[in-house]
Amino acid sequence: MKACQTPGFWLPLVIVSVWGGVVLLIHQDTMRETAFILLMAVGLASSLNILLGYTGYVSFGHIVFFGLGGYTGFYLLSAQDWPLFAAAIGGGLLSALIAGLVGLAVLRLRGAYFALATIGINEAARAFVSNFEPYGGATGMFVNFSVYQKYGGPGPALWTTFIFLWITALAVLLVSYLVKHSRFGLGLLAIREDEDAAMVMGVKAPQAKTITYVISAFFPGVIGTLYFFKNGNIEPGDAFQLHMSIEMLVMVMLGGMGTVMGPLVGAAGYQWLRGYLLTSPIFKDLHLAVAGAMLLLIILFVPTGVVGWVRNHVRRLQKVLE
Amino acid sequence: MKRFGVGFAVVLSLSLILTSLTAPPGVAAAEKTVTIGFTASQTGKLNVEATRQINGLHLWMEQVNGAGGIKLPDGAVIKFADKFYDDESKKERVQELYTKLINADKADFLISPYSSGLTDAAAVIAQQYNRIMVTAGAASDSTYKKGYTLVYQSYTPASRYLTGAVDILVKLTPKSKKIAIIHENDKFATDVVKDLRKYAEQKGFKVVLFEGYDSATADFSPFINKIPADVDAIMGGGHFADTTTLARQIYEKKINTRIIALLVAPPEPKFAELGEACISVIGSSQWEPLARFTKESAQKEGIAWFGPTGEEFIKAYKARFTEDPSYHSAGGYVAGMILQDAIQKAGSADTAKVKAALDAMDSMTFYGRLKFATGPKDHGLQVGHEMVYIQWNKDQQGKPVKQVVWPAAGATAPPFVCPAR
Repeated sequence: MKACQTPGFWLPLVIVSVWGGVVLLIHQDTMRETAFILLMAVGLASSLNILLGYTGYVSFGHIVFFGLGGYTGFYLLSAQDWPLFAAAIGGGLLSALIAGLVGLAVLRLRGAYFALATIGINEAARAFVSNFEPYGGATGMFVNFSVYQKYGGPGPALWTTFIFLWITALAVLLVSYLVKHSRFGLGLLAIREDEDAAMVMGVKAPQAKTITYVISAFFPGVIGTLYFFKNGNIEPGDAFQLHMSIEMLVMVMLGGMGTVMGPLVGAAGYQWLRGYLLTSPIFKDLHLAVAGAMLLLIILFVPTGVVGWVRNHVRRLQKVLE
Repeated sequence: MKRFGVGFAVVLSLSLILTSLTAPPGVAAAEKTVTIGFTASQTGKLNVEATRQINGLHLWMEQVNGAGGIKLPDGAVIKFADKFYDDESKKERVQELYTKLINADKADFLISPYSSGLTDAAAVIAQQYNRIMVTAGAASDSTYKKGYTLVYQSYTPASRYLTGAVDILVKLTPKSKKIAIIHENDKFATDVVKDLRKYAEQKGFKVVLFEGYDSATADFSPFINKIPADVDAIMGGGHFADTTTLARQIYEKKINTRIIALLVAPPEPKFAELGEACISVIGSSQWEPLARFTKESAQKEGIAWFGPTGEEFIKAYKARFTEDPSYHSAGGYVAGMILQDAIQKAGSADTAKVKAALDAMDSMTFYGRLKFATGPKDHGLQVGHEMVYIQWNKDQQGKPVKQVVWPAAGATAPPFVCPAR
């Protein structure tokens, strides 16, 4: 309970709670859609950060868990008629299970070899799903529009999906903090700094890394189900997009890896900026150029990310920003 | 080193900004303005097709507004304005942008993004907010089988993309029996060949090979080697790059068959670069500048004619954009025409009245016939429009030239059997 008094613990949770609460209170559809994209990015980036930030293992193909979980959840929803919440949890559990099995093998690799292996896993999953008939093969799956009636019509269904996503984003941040501040998390940080030394000191590295991989795979699976349910269809090309994986990495780096607050700031900031530039009358034809230039400048001058920079420059905020 | 870094960043930023100065032309709003909202893939992998589609739509809008708008029976005049955002060829923001188009930009009607995947995401929002959405570039049948009542398709659906090739085969060699299908293992091509197979089997053909290949395949030998020697037709393909390579390798391996019918690539002028390998290859297209759908052919079939002739459209498009129109351009133009025709017939821009007019629509245009399914299972599916089939032949100088060979009503030359290789 001591943690509750630490601003580093409650600040991210309060920010996301208030943010979601305001969206629910104002109840404006355009605002909900923007918040959905932002919270989805926060959830995905924070999940990746649990692996990348704490263990230092760069997963280039982390989107595979979004895709596999999304596929499984969508299958449970459409073919098995599961309710959304249960299907999303099902999708998350399958992602976690796959991560556990795959992790035992690939987490023995380090550095660039691990990064390359994760890209391979993503491509293999895409190829598998494209030929897996229960998941619709290359054409994917879709739900009939009438499915939304179960949730009170399409409007309320989209709001329900948003609420689930909001809760998921809060859960990721909570887990991220708890992992970082546990004995287990200290072991992970030791692995990040020097894996061999950590093992000598008694950290069970293979086991710890696999558990971390499992945790960081669960939430993208849940988010995938919610996202594809909202879209009404799923196909291999959309589920395993490598560029989304790279965007997740950028968002973590932008906010500050290894911090709880970093992915929240990085993801929300990055996606908000992209959305703003895309729809702004002045920038709408220049959005990629402006976003690219800003990213370049930030990475050139603030390599530790926004949160890292603030922590380094404002001593008082070191305990506030975890 | 740091100074160099800053300089490099500034130069790169400036060059990025300069290279992306490609703002599309804006359209002036009129007094009684109906707003058409859509997202367009101005960047990303669908950029080329989507840009042509928007060009077509803009041309239509400029012409209608230039002619004084649509005059309704009650004396009101309707002019059009558009509002659109870049979807970057990605699905992530499509729903967000369509929600914004409807709620913040007050779009009265919607046009779909390019491609079935993006359209699927947009359709949920259109139906939710009771907005009519005319789709262009969204061929997949499944979009129209989800229970939507306000989504209308301007393209011939994927299920009928290659079925005409079977009809051509029957006409050319009625004794044909065996078809080999080699297709790209993606949503579009798989959708097409599944229905092609069904259709061929209904017609009494035996599908002797049915194989899917990965999108990045460059060596088709394993698939071509499996083709039985006495096959009557080879059909399939996927998108431009893979289909072109497949056609070339079929030629290089000297496979003898009666017809070769492939997706997407053959109608493209670049396909002629294959030289000998492109001769006799048949391809299907939503529209071809050569196709002759005229007021007379409409009259013959007893269908009302609507809009400009093919020659008028091609001339106006060339003058406006200094390039030849592709079927994507025609698709964008026709999406606008569908709305125009429906608003005129409804005498109003009210959603319910326009929907009733769309349900009852049966018009012939330079692009072909337009009629929508109205049953609950496939509402909005295009049932009037037929694909146009082209076949590559040699002109008098021996250069490749394409001719429209099917349907007979729009043909410029009869189809022919592949020469022996």
